[in-house]
Amino acid sequence: MSATLTITTDEWRYWLRSKLALAVVALFVVILVGVSALTNLRIEAEAHEREHHQEVSEETFLDQPDRHPHRMVHYGHYVFRAPMPLAIFDPGLDAITGQTLFLEGHRQNSATFSASASSADLGGLSWLTPALMYQLFAPLLVILLGHGAIVREREAGTLPALLAQGLTGRRLVAGKLLALALFVTLLLVPVLISGVIALSAGERVLAAASLLGVYLVYLLIWVALTLLVSTLAENRATAIAVLAAAWLALTLVLPAAAVNTTTQTAPLAGKIETELTMLTEIRDLGDGHDVDDSVYNDVQASLLAEYGAASIEELDINIRGVLAQKAEADLTETLNVYADRRMAAEMRQSDRVSAHGWLTPTLAVAVASRTLAGTDLFHYHRFLRQAEALRINFVQGLNRAHAEALSYTDDINRNRDEASWERARIDASNWQVLDSFQYESASASDRVAGAQWSIAMLAAWIAVLTLLLAWAGGRLKP
Amino acid sequence: MTTTVKLEADALQVYRSDKEVLSGISFSLSSSEVYALLGGNGAGKSTTLLSFLGFLPAAGGRVLVNGKDVSADHKAARAAIAYLPEAASLYEHLNAFENLRYFLQLAGRSEDSPALEAALDRVSLAPASRARRLKDYSKGMRQKVAIALAILRDTDILLLDEPTSGLDPSAIDEFHDLIRDLADTGKTILMVTHDVYGACQVADRIGLLRGGKLVGEFSAPTDGRIETETVHRAFSGRTVDTQLAV
Ligand SMILES: Nc1ncnc2c1ncn2[C@@H]1O[C@H](COP(=O)(O)OP(=O)(O)O)[C@@H](O)[C@H]1O
Ligand SMILES: [Mg+2]
Repeated sequence: MSATLTITTDEWRYWLRSKLALAVVALFVVILVGVSALTNLRIEAEAHEREHHQEVSEETFLDQPDRHPHRMVHYGHYVFRAPMPLAIFDPGLDAITGQTLFLEGHRQNSATFSASASSADLGGLSWLTPALMYQLFAPLLVILLGHGAIVREREAGTLPALLAQGLTGRRLVAGKLLALALFVTLLLVPVLISGVIALSAGERVLAAASLLGVYLVYLLIWVALTLLVSTLAENRATAIAVLAAAWLALTLVLPAAAVNTTTQTAPLAGKIETELTMLTEIRDLGDGHDVDDSVYNDVQASLLAEYGAASIEELDINIRGVLAQKAEADLTETLNVYADRRMAAEMRQSDRVSAHGWLTPTLAVAVASRTLAGTDLFHYHRFLRQAEALRINFVQGLNRAHAEALSYTDDINRNRDEASWERARIDASNWQVLDSFQYESASASDRVAGAQWSIAMLAAWIAVLTLLLAWAGGRLKP
Repeated sequence: MTTTVKLEADALQVYRSDKEVLSGISFSLSSSEVYALLGGNGAGKSTTLLSFLGFLPAAGGRVLVNGKDVSADHKAARAAIAYLPEAASLYEHLNAFENLRYFLQLAGRSEDSPALEAALDRVSLAPASRARRLKDYSKGMRQKVAIALAILRDTDILLLDEPTSGLDPSAIDEFHDLIRDLADTGKTILMVTHDVYGACQVADRIGLLRGGKLVGEFSAPTDGRIETETVHRAFSGRTVDTQLAV
């Protein structure tokens, strides 16, 4: 057996004979398995629930009786975002972005959360996800097992004994590195299982494998950092103190600071101010319900010309439906300008936070993780855009039916008496303009491309630390 | 047995953290010799041993192992030397056999169990203790395992850093017998100590190190040991620096 493997084997033997190490690793594994199982159940329950709600919502819409078409525009429709398969590992921003949208005419609502609480909720513990276990707590485990790897030998006097036998410092460090690398690889088995479950739920191998890869690199970064400190430290107490400080800084302080500085240096425009300017702009657009609104004089004139009619009553088409389409299109254009602006600002802010991954690998891995899982801000925006596409499609479909399937006369006389009310309805088959909603995530390769900067940051971290470790191993002295 | 020079320090000067720790010391050991480097705390004893292993560069002069300059080939020096550091340099999570096997494997040797038993017999470590982890060992028992390792490494030269500190008197006697025994089988042994009595009991020659300078050297008469009283007076500074050759 090579010297490196001999050292690796002995390190494992040392851990296996240490009750504390075994106890802590066992505790971590128990919590990890528990959190993984509960997150899995929760996400699966949510997936079923949303799929069910989506079906019910579509059925309810399509099952509506004959009605006035504009009543259906206001009746509205719910869409639900199905969780991504890898959300069982990293629910990412899903927990704070909302997964339900109420779609109706004349408005773009914001996403909310499903009304019913999910059946497998952890009772307030749902923030604790498998991803977070790896991002925050797995490094502690690496520190616990690895902090003494080299400095322990220095304290026990076995370091000079080994070096005096002709063993090189680099060889010793390599042996310990391999031992810890093996440990973190085993620690990733639950991620592998989550990946396989995600694959069976339709996830692509590329995304699941990349996710596994970024966590492996992330934990190897902690292995290298831990060994570096253990190699340079004079004693164990120093090693622990330095590593504890590094853990606090890298996993908690710096990510929080990144968010704070970003919200201060790149604040989002205040929601209320933006909404007020938007409302002012919308007010100038005119009211599509009101045929006499002067804003629509031109439309009216050109319609009359087109159909060679003298008055709107003579038109072969219901002008109220035409104006509703025009008004909805104008309104949506304005709403989209504001929505795009807001989403762009949010993305800018999110990108700025992500850039701090050069400073801390925890942020880099968190960003890469939710990007690959499809639970990031980008995917939330994608959901909003897909929902909006569905909304404008069915609202305009109803408006078209309003224009074509209901005569103007019947329409304006609808409140005269019971019989007129009946005449102002159109056939329920018109409700088929509603497409079924199926949220589509970005492709696996697009997600990997989206995570490329975070992956580059992790690569830079591991490269620099490996070089430092090689240097520190080379200068190891008795 | 022909006597060849196994270890030699020649006007050796060593700096540690910009401080001169050894100021041009010269001495040499021939095969089968036991040499005790005697000195107080901070005299430069451990530094001298580390220099023979090539861990500290010579700022002036040279150190030679088997006639070869260590700075030119520290690998050869380390392969020729078994070194017992000051601290008990074995693993507490391993038993005696496991310790021996681990160190031997890393030194590129593999010894079968009978060989390990034989070495532990030679240092008379109680057989009942051998399968117990070293965390339950006394300092004397650890020292025995360390010596057994040195025996198994089968090097010509042994460097021992304060091997008897912390041992009880009977363990020290036992240890000295073992050292003499090893020297008689041809090993060259350089040990550093601040124990005047022990040095006189075991060494063929004693070098007195003070403040990084070799201030005296004593040799045993052909038919006896070095006289403790003489060395003690020199060590405690009651005589002027001399190149005594008793
Ligand atoms: N690692 C070190 N770095 C710097 N100076 C050292 C180091 N180790 C020892 N010294 C200094 O070198 C001198 C000799 O130390 P050492 O050889 O360990 O003495 P001894 O073994 O005789 O007690 C002392 O003054 C000590 O302070
Ligand atoms: Mg010393």
